[in-house]
Amino acid sequence: MKVSRRTFLSIGSFIVGGAAGTALSPLPWKLTDDLSIWTQNWPWTPMPERGEVSYVNSVCTLCPGGCGISVRKVNDRAVKIEGMKGHPVNDGGICILGLSGLQLLYGPTRIKTPLKRVGEKGQGKFKKISWDEALKEVAEKLGTLRSEGKSHTVACVSGSACGTVPQLLKRLLTVYGSPNFMSVPTMQDAYAVTLKLMHGVDACPGFDVENADFILSFGSGIIEGWGSTVRMFKANSAWQDKKIKVVQIESRMSNTAAKAAKWIPARPGSEGVLALGIAYMMLRDGLYKKEVCDSAAGFEDFRKTVSENYAPENIAAATGIEKETIESLAKEFAGAASPLAICGRGQGHTPGSQYEFMAVHALNALAGNINKAGGVFTVPDPKYIAWAEPELDETAQKGMSSPRIDGAGSETYPHAKSLLNRLPPAILSAQGECPVQALLISEANPCYTLSDTQTVKKAFAKIPFVVSFSSYMDETAQYADIILPNHAYLERLEDAPAYAAGLSKPVIGLSKPVVTPQFDTKHTGDAVIALAKALGDKVAAAFPWESYAACLEETLGDKWKSLNEKCFAVVEESIEAPLQFFKQECKPVFAEGDEKQYPFVLMPYDSIRLANGFIGNTPFLTKTVPDTVLRKNDIFVEINPKSAGGDSLSLREGSAVMLTTPKGSAKVRVHLSEEIMPGVIAIPRGLGHTAYDKYLAGKGINCNELIGPAEDSGSGFDAVWGIRAKLSSVSI
Amino acid sequence: MNKQHNKAKKFGMVIDLDKCTGCGACMVACMAENNVPFKADETNKLDSITWLRVYKLTNGKSFPNADFCYLPRPCMHCEGSHGHSPCVSVCPATATDYSHETGIVSQIYTRCFGCRYCMAACPYHARYFNWWDPVWPEGMEKYLNPNVSVRMRGIVEKCSFCYHRYQLAMEKAYYEGRREIEEQEYQTACTQACPAGAIVFGDLDNPEHAVHELKKNPNAFRLLERLGTNPKVYYISSREWVRQAGDNYLRQEGKSEKN
Amino acid sequence: MSKPVDHKKEVLGDGSGGFAILFFLLGLVASLIVGWVVYPKLLYSQKNQPVDFNHALHIDLVDEGCESCHFFREDGTYSGVPKLAQCIGCHEEVQGETKDEAIFVEQYVKQGREVPWLIYAKQPDCVFFSHVAHVKAGGMDCVTCHGHIGESASLKVYEENRITGYSRDIWGKNISGLKTNTWDRMKMDDCSECHEEKGVNATSVQTGKGACFVCHK
Repeated sequence: MKVSRRTFLSIGSFIVGGAAGTALSPLPWKLTDDLSIWTQNWPWTPMPERGEVSYVNSVCTLCPGGCGISVRKVNDRAVKIEGMKGHPVNDGGICILGLSGLQLLYGPTRIKTPLKRVGEKGQGKFKKISWDEALKEVAEKLGTLRSEGKSHTVACVSGSACGTVPQLLKRLLTVYGSPNFMSVPTMQDAYAVTLKLMHGVDACPGFDVENADFILSFGSGIIEGWGSTVRMFKANSAWQDKKIKVVQIESRMSNTAAKAAKWIPARPGSEGVLALGIAYMMLRDGLYKKEVCDSAAGFEDFRKTVSENYAPENIAAATGIEKETIESLAKEFAGAASPLAICGRGQGHTPGSQYEFMAVHALNALAGNINKAGGVFTVPDPKYIAWAEPELDETAQKGMSSPRIDGAGSETYPHAKSLLNRLPPAILSAQGECPVQALLISEANPCYTLSDTQTVKKAFAKIPFVVSFSSYMDETAQYADIILPNHAYLERLEDAPAYAAGLSKPVIGLSKPVVTPQFDTKHTGDAVIALAKALGDKVAAAFPWESYAACLEETLGDKWKSLNEKCFAVVEESIEAPLQFFKQECKPVFAEGDEKQYPFVLMPYDSIRLANGFIGNTPFLTKTVPDTVLRKNDIFVEINPKSAGGDSLSLREGSAVMLTTPKGSAKVRVHLSEEIMPGVIAIPRGLGHTAYDKYLAGKGINCNELIGPAEDSGSGFDAVWGIRAKLSSVSI
Repeated sequence: MNKQHNKAKKFGMVIDLDKCTGCGACMVACMAENNVPFKADETNKLDSITWLRVYKLTNGKSFPNADFCYLPRPCMHCEGSHGHSPCVSVCPATATDYSHETGIVSQIYTRCFGCRYCMAACPYHARYFNWWDPVWPEGMEKYLNPNVSVRMRGIVEKCSFCYHRYQLAMEKAYYEGRREIEEQEYQTACTQACPAGAIVFGDLDNPEHAVHELKKNPNAFRLLERLGTNPKVYYISSREWVRQAGDNYLRQEGKSEKN
Repeated sequence: MSKPVDHKKEVLGDGSGGFAILFFLLGLVASLIVGWVVYPKLLYSQKNQPVDFNHALHIDLVDEGCESCHFFREDGTYSGVPKLAQCIGCHEEVQGETKDEAIFVEQYVKQGREVPWLIYAKQPDCVFFSHVAHVKAGGMDCVTCHGHIGESASLKVYEENRITGYSRDIWGKNISGLKTNTWDRMKMDDCSECHEEKGVNATSVQTGKGACFVCHK
C-alpha cells in the first residue's frame, strides 16, 4: 500500500498530538511513580502484620537449664523470645538456642498430625492418621502384648526422668507391668552416683558459682553450655569483674580455655589422674581441711591409695603435666577461700567416668567446701510429685519383678537408675525374639545421640513396634511405627524441673503455652492418660485425671498458684550430706583402639552454636557456625599443624582426608589449629543429621558414628570421651 | 505545633572483649529481631547476611602459647568528620544517611538500588547485599517482626542499632508526656540478649549513661581508628595483642608485643 | 484564527495542513481523555467496605471523640481501626435498624470474625508513622491528615492502585497530584513538606532536612 503524503502527515500529527496530550496528562508521571513503587514492594516479600504487642512469660525447656523466658507476641503470633528479668536462673539473659526457638515452633521439621509408618523402618515414609486411630492402634498393641504375658518387653526412653510427663510414662509402664523405664543419661547422672557414693544421699549437684573464688575446671565447658548456660555465662562475667581465677584443664583450647586465666592442656582422658595428683599434693602438704576429712569414713584408705599412686612423677607421663604446675595448682586451689572443682566434659550431655567424677569431687571434699557457700551442694529432689501408689494387678506385678533389660539397679550396676547405652547391645545380642517388643520414646533422639549410632539404628530396626511422641521429625522418629506428636515446647503447659540449673536449692519451673497449638498435636501427658484409659482396669485406675492439665494442677497443689504467676518456685529444702571417701576401686576410661594402628586420639567437642541433643540445630544457629567448622556440607576437624605434616599426608588448611576409627571412617576436611594439642583430633558434635530439614540434614558427619561406647566399670554409663583414630589420604 | 527538636544524642556501644564468650547469641538475637533471612547453605560467609558478626582473632602463636579472642562487629555507625561516614558519602541514592539527632547511620531499603558503593566504602564489612529474595519455609514467616521491614533482592542492608526500638521508646515517652527516654528504654537486641553482659549500649555523650565512662577505659579502643572513620563502637580488652589487632599496625610499629 | 492556517497551507502547498492540525488535535484530545479520564479508571480498582460504618452516628455517642475508638495503647502505639472486641460491648445484639448493623452482627460479631476493613490511610511497610508523636507531642488533630471522615455518615469506596497496591488516598483523589487541603494527599513529599516547615529533626547529613530514620523502618 502506498502511503500518501496526506496520510503520513495525518498519522504523524496524530502521534505528535497524542504525545503532547500524554505529556500534558498525569499518565506518564503517575505511571513512573507507581512503577518505581511497585519495584520497591514485590508482592512476594512478606509484610509482617502489625498489631498489639504482648508478652507471655514461660520457662524454656530446650535444655534442662530452666531459664525463664518472655515471649513477645504481635496479635496471636510469637515474634521474639527474650530472657525473663528477675528469674533466679538467668535473670534476663538468654542463650543462642533459646533465642531461636521460634524457628522450632514454626519450622518445617514439626510433625503436624499423628503418623503411621508406610515405608521400611528408618526410611521416614509415613501416612497421616487420626488421633483416634493412632491411640487405638498403640493401645491395642500394648493390650495384646500384656495379654500374652509380655508386658516386661515394653520399654520407654524419656529425655529426662524428672517432671510429671516422664513420671506419667514411668507410672504407665509400672501399672502396665514393665520395669524398663529409661532416661537419657547426662553428667547429672554421673554426679548423682558420685553424691550417692560419697555422701550416701539421693541428690543433684548444685554449684555455688556466684560465691566461689577459684575455679578449677576439668574440661567443663563453662561458657560452651555446661550446666545452665546463661547462669554460667553470668558467673563467668562476674569472675572477670572480680578477678577470680579460672583454670581450665583440657587438651583443646575451648572458648572456656581461651577466657580462663590459665589453660593447662592435659592429655585427653587424664583429667581424673590429674585431680588425684592435686589431691596428692594437698594430702602431702597438709593443705586439706583436716577437721572435715580426718573423721570421714574411708579417708585413710583414700590417703593411702593416693599417696602410693599419684605422686607427680608417677603421673607426669599420663597427664603430660610437669610437677611444678601440679604443685602450684594444688597450692592455689587449697589456698583459696572458696575453691570449686568441677567436671563433666563440654556441655556435660554425656556422663563421664565415675573415676574422674569421684576424683574431682574428692578435691572439693578435701577443700571442705561441700554444702558451703562457693562450693558444691547436694540438692534434694523437690518431691512435688506425690501421687498415690498405684495398685498393680497380677500381670503388672509379674512384669515388674522381671529384670530390667539394661541391667540398671542389678548387682553389677547397683547405682545407675537407667543405662540407655546398654539397650542396643541387649537387643542385638538376644537370641530369638527381640527382648523389646514395643518401645515408647519421648523427648529423646537416641538414634542420633548415642555412641555408635549405626549399631543403635540396627537395634531400633529390630524392635517390632516403636512409638514416638516427638514434635519434630528427628532420626529416632524416623524409626517409629506410630508417631503421636507432642505440642511444641511453646504450645504446652508443663512443669519444668530445672534439675540442671545447678542452684543450691531445687527450682521448679512452669512452662506455659505461649501460642495455641499450630497443628493437630496432643500433649504427651494427655496421650499417656488416653492410652492408660484405653488399656482399662487397674491401668486406667492409676490415671484418675480427666486431663493432663488437671493432673498437673493437682500435683503442684499449693505451689500451683505462685508457679502460674511467676513461672518458677524455689523450694527451700536442703539435705544433710555426711562425707565418706570411696572404697570401691574405679578405673579411668581409656580411648578404644590400638595406639600403633591409630596414632591419633579423636575427641568430640561441644560448641554453644551447635545443639547436639534431642533438639536439632535451628537454621539461625547453623548460620552462625564458622566456615572453619562447616563449609558446604563438609565438616572440618581440628588438628595441630605439627601433627599434620607427618608421613605421606602433609595436610594443609582445608585438605580432605579420610578419618578412620575402630568404629568407622568418614571423609572430613582439616582445619589446622594451634589451639589443640598435637596428636589430638577434635570433631564438632551436633552435625551430620540425616533427619530434620534441608537447613540441617546432610551437613557434615555425626561424630557418634565414629565413636563407640565405653562402659564405665563403676556406674555402667557410657563414659566415652574419645577414640583412637588415623588419617589417610583420600582422592577427591 | 511545638518544634520537635530532641537533644542530640550519640548512640554507641562499648563491648568488653574480656567478657565476650563468642557464643553468638548477639548474632541470633539480631537476626530474630531484624527479620534477617537464612538459606539452606550459609557457609559462604561472603554472602551470608549477619548484621552483627562475631569474628575470631588469634594471636598467631603456636601451641601451647596460642590464644584467641572473639570480636562482635555490628555496624560502627561511623561519624567520620561531621557525619560524613564512608558509606554515607558515596551513596548516590540518598539511601543511607547519618542523623545528627541520634548518630545512627540509617539504611532505607526502598530507596536503595543496589549499586553497592557503600559496601566498597565500608572498611568493616558491615554491609550486606541481598543476592537472593528472602524465603522463609512455609509457616515460619509467622515470627517476622512488624517493626522492621523485610528486605528484598538487590539491595544492601546493615545493622541499624535496632533503630525501631528507639522509635518505639520515643512513642512510649510521647504517650507519657516526655520528650526524652531513659537509658534502659532503648537498648539494642544484641545488648539485651548478651548472656555475658559484654555489650553496653547508650548515649556516648550522656554522662549518666554507662558507655560514657566505659569508653574512657585505658584498655578501650576502636577498630581501624587511623582511617578517620570515627566509629561509635568501642572495644575493651586487657590483652595487648587484641588491642593491636584492632588497627592496621605494621609489624614493628607500636608497643612491644607481650605474651 | 484563520491566519496561521493560511500560512501553513502556503507552506505545505496542499490541503494536508488542515488534516495535520485536525489529527494533531484528535491525538491531543484522545490522549488527554485517556490520561485524565480513562487511565485513572483503569488504574484504580474499586472496593466497598465489608460493612458501611456511620462515623457521625457513633461520634455523638462517645465521650472522647476519635480517641474513644481509635485510641493509644499504653506502650504509646496506636490501635488503628478497632477490633471486634471493642464493638461487642454495644453490638452483641442488633441495636438499630440499619441493614449494615445487621450484617455486622450476624456475619462478624456472632461468628467471632474480625471485619476485614480496608484502610484508606494505610502507609506502605517501609513507613514508620508515629501517631503519638503527631497527636500528643505535636498537638495535631486528626483532621489535618484524615480530613472530615469522622463526620461522615457513610464510608466511601476504597480505591486500590492496581500497580502498587496502595490506597488512592496516598496519592490523592486528584489524579494530577494537586491538593487543596492538607489531608488530600499523603505521600513522602507531603510529610516532608510539613516537617521542613516545622523544622522537625532537621538532622540529616545527606539532605540537611529530616533524617530518613525519622519516618522509615
